[in-house]
Amino acid sequence: MINFSIKNNPILYSIFIIALFVSFQSQSLSNQEKSIDDQTKEISYLLMCPVCQGQSVGESNSNLAHDMRDIIRKQLEAGRSKEEVLAYFVNSYGESILASPPPKGINWLLWLLPGVGIIIGGIGITLFLFKAQREDKNEDSQESNTQPKMDNEYIKRIEEELEDSDS
Amino acid sequence: MKIFSATGKIVVFIIILGLVSLMGYAIFGNRVSVKTSPLIGQQAPPFTLKTFDGKELKLSDLEGKIVLLNFWASWCMPCRQEAGALETSWQKYKDKDVVFVGVNVWDENSNALKYLTNFGGGYPHALDPDEEIQINYGVGGVPETFFIDSSGNVRDKFTGPLTEQIIDYFVLKAKQPQEDKS
Repeated sequence: MINFSIKNNPILYSIFIIALFVSFQSQSLSNQEKSIDDQTKEISYLLMCPVCQGQSVGESNSNLAHDMRDIIRKQLEAGRSKEEVLAYFVNSYGESILASPPPKGINWLLWLLPGVGIIIGGIGITLFLFKAQREDKNEDSQESNTQPKMDNEYIKRIEEELEDSDS
Repeated sequence: MKIFSATGKIVVFIIILGLVSLMGYAIFGNRVSVKTSPLIGQQAPPFTLKTFDGKELKLSDLEGKIVLLNFWASWCMPCRQEAGALETSWQKYKDKDVVFVGVNVWDENSNALKYLTNFGGGYPHALDPDEEIQINYGVGGVPETFFIDSSGNVRDKFTGPLTEQIIDYFVLKAKQPQEDKS
């Protein structure tokens, strides 16, 4: 009987090890490539295209955006971090190149004001509703206080009239 | 119905005052300090260009001279508009330690060569083989021109077609000592 066990066959074993190695290598290269692609895409969406109307570098088809994407890729391949790549573009074009302003200095207002606005608006609406509800309750309680008094007077009057009619 | 107490009214007033102040600052704030490029006052990004006649042109070789770095493309109409002024000014400044360099960007080589025949003038025109110089200088379109002083610092950036008067103004400014590096 022929033994097909890889361990017992040195040639098959070697081929298996080489195939495994090549597979791992190609997988690793593919992952690295994908990673740089993903990073390039991610950074390109963090930068605004300087010559486009409200488009990021990732969205634009302009020559400039194309050059910028190439440079992002080159810098990532050279081992630069995302922050370093962004700093490079800020150094050339200024902070207006960033899709979202960095949270520092007066820029903090841009990050905080919407939240503050929502909180103040919420407090205002809550106050309004609370006061409106309280005034409704006051009106109701005033009505409920006057009702029995009126009823009593009415009953008393009916009784008096009945007595008068009896007599 | 009474919505805000006296304290509430003061808080609302302060908030509205703050917002109005911010709007006022945005509209009427000090715009003099707004720079046309973050590179102004900084060391000019180094470059090594290849001229259309095959020579190498390095910024470091131009140290001690004022450099007018003009970005252009053959399809750019304002570039044609400023070509005459650039040539006249180059004739005026070429013996006065002022170097003019044209940088062709976002173009086809054959179109650029045709353009140079008609509008090139006598000063060197070059390409960046790595196509990075336009990004290093933060160029957003053409024509854009950078004025680099004799110490290698970017002194000004001008966007749009140049005239002789504009070139004179910025060249003279680049000759003055730098006031503020911030």
